[in-house]
Amino acid sequence: MKKKAKWLALFLTIVLALSFVACSSKNGSKSDNSRNTGVTPADKKNPVTLTTVSMFGGTDPNAPNYQAIISQFMKDYSYITIEDDSQVSDQDWKTRIAADFAVGNEPDVIQYFIDANASDVLAADKFVTIDEIRAEYPDYAKDTLDSALKAAANPDGIERAVPTTGYWEGLYCNKDLFKKYGLELPTTWDNLLQAIATFKENNIIPIAVSLNNVPHYWVEALILSAAGSEGYTQVPETVPQDWCTGLAMIKTLRDMEAFPKDTDTIDNDFAGELFKSKRAAMKLDGSWFLSSIPDKQNTVITAVPVMPGGKAKEGEIIGGISSGFYITKKAWEDPDKRDAAVKFVMANTNKEGVTKYWNGSGQAAVSADPIKDMTPLAISGFEYSNKASVTLLPIDSRISQEAYNTLIAGIVDISTGAKTPEDLLKEVLDINAKQ
Amino acid sequence: MLYKKKFPLVIFLIPGLILIFLFLYWPFIENIKNSFYDITNFVKMPGKEWTFIGVENYKKLLTDSKLRIAFANSIKMMGLAVVFQVGIALGLAIFVSWLRRGENFFRTIYFFPIVISATAIGLIFKLFYNYSGGMLNQFLEVIGKDPVNWLAPGRAFTMIAIPIIWSYVGFYFVILLTGLNAIPEELYEAAKVDGCSKVKQVLYVTLPMMRGVFCTCIILAVTGALKVFDLPWVIAPKGAPQGRTHFLGTLMYEQTFTIGNVDYGSAIGFVIVIFGLLVSLAVNELLKPDANL
Repeated sequence: MKKKAKWLALFLTIVLALSFVACSSKNGSKSDNSRNTGVTPADKKNPVTLTTVSMFGGTDPNAPNYQAIISQFMKDYSYITIEDDSQVSDQDWKTRIAADFAVGNEPDVIQYFIDANASDVLAADKFVTIDEIRAEYPDYAKDTLDSALKAAANPDGIERAVPTTGYWEGLYCNKDLFKKYGLELPTTWDNLLQAIATFKENNIIPIAVSLNNVPHYWVEALILSAAGSEGYTQVPETVPQDWCTGLAMIKTLRDMEAFPKDTDTIDNDFAGELFKSKRAAMKLDGSWFLSSIPDKQNTVITAVPVMPGGKAKEGEIIGGISSGFYITKKAWEDPDKRDAAVKFVMANTNKEGVTKYWNGSGQAAVSADPIKDMTPLAISGFEYSNKASVTLLPIDSRISQEAYNTLIAGIVDISTGAKTPEDLLKEVLDINAKQ
Repeated sequence: MLYKKKFPLVIFLIPGLILIFLFLYWPFIENIKNSFYDITNFVKMPGKEWTFIGVENYKKLLTDSKLRIAFANSIKMMGLAVVFQVGIALGLAIFVSWLRRGENFFRTIYFFPIVISATAIGLIFKLFYNYSGGMLNQFLEVIGKDPVNWLAPGRAFTMIAIPIIWSYVGFYFVILLTGLNAIPEELYEAAKVDGCSKVKQVLYVTLPMMRGVFCTCIILAVTGALKVFDLPWVIAPKGAPQGRTHFLGTLMYEQTFTIGNVDYGSAIGFVIVIFGLLVSLAVNELLKPDANL
């Protein structure tokens, strides 16, 4: 037995030694080849792996466009590998990104928020400014409109992000359901109430919303409706009565059974499915929702009507530019990654890239050519945003993340009456005052 | 000779000690520290210090209705885990041990849910419970009944407890079956000779002989119930509906990572650890698994 083991050990040692020799001769032959072809290492581009993160992940309608741009980019620049970790943006994701930046695990390029939503990440001071980049790459963001770059400046006024598209929030309506039940589109509050009552009687969910997951759009729309643009855009120090009136309307709508029975437990994607499958008649959502709607003939977009006594004026909508592509200092300070990162951002933000993302919905950050053969839904969205007299950024762009998250987390309690809007807003404003 | 020289043993133990200190005890101490500060951002702003707020977060804990719900749910879950997870597992293990063959088949079948990730199980049950188009409501529709909101506030806890219990029965089943197999066959034969029925054999032979294994299972079930997080978070995130299904773990996660109230989340985390320690001590004291009764 012992002899056998010795022979086996010897055999394995020889195999190992031979494999080492084989490997080293392989490397040697490689360098020989390069010498023969006259290519020196300096002439070659070093392989670069770029880590990227964006909000174009999961079920985001722009996820396929983003992936197509990445694929094309890796074909165009074969020495660059993109390791992408994109996800749909939600609070958990934002927190994870902030934690990554806090511990030095930030990606090389990130498409992220530009407003107060990015305060954690901006505090880490890990982004390169557009001015710095343009000093070395004068063509950086050359297709992007100056007005869009200015609109995408961070709260400190410094331009770091290159935006792709702006967005708006609007009330999507299944026009065919309104027609079937002989209803007017909800252009007035009375029409909205009439539609809710009729749909409820006919077992159609009037408004698809997940109060536990994404009540954001209704919070914003109802506060704007009650407070008007002036009251809406202030950062209050004491609880504004108009905001309370707006939030209280969520309870009124819930009491009217305007929302799904399981609005407390479904997520936003499922609420979207309820609307798309015509089980729900209306859904308040952003312009990004448009491209995911299958019935582009019978869906229209209107503004949320002004509630009785509301101070909002016609044409005041919520929207703007909320995100853009950043290059981190980590990538910028790496000589190999710097050029790759710049190329990647430009591939996403040049006219061609932005046109893909825009596709007629929202507002393009470049002077995009008009889209041919726009669907009736896209035309409806286009007209809706064109009619807007004022586009206002949502509340979360002005108050701290913790304060805004507390507001959102309390909406279910507001809707059931477990908490009053006054109590919730006081808590929210106290948290905001601490920041 | 190794057993005479203790030094090499210490060398091998040190890396583990360093790792456990770095990744468990140090973060735990930091966590306690964080609970006394007002942490306004995940990232410390340059030149900005966190404000010391003393025991403010702990005062808030006393008045937090969500925490009360989370505590109540966690305690209820402990009871359910002991009664149903260990109880059902014991019943199944006894029945399987009586089988002449097929033990391995049942062992595999019952253990299977353990190897499925909790997220996948959560997703499956979420699809069962959906009000619009969920599997259970489709059954009801077939038999001409109205759909039920399975996750309505009144029944959500029960509906979430079912998959939690179901998914872990197999784990205790395997432990208990192994314990049952370790009982000498002679004891049963002697009991049979004395005229014991099957039920009496279970009561007077199996259960006393299984005491140690039983205690281990109960301690695991109780402490496991404290760590419940993933299944309820997938089925009904953020304690949905209306905070009724919050467990200590889900509440801590929501406060820390969803709302961004890091300091309050840290205080909840500290309370969970203290509560877990107290529960483990109490269970140990009650059951005395090492005692020779």
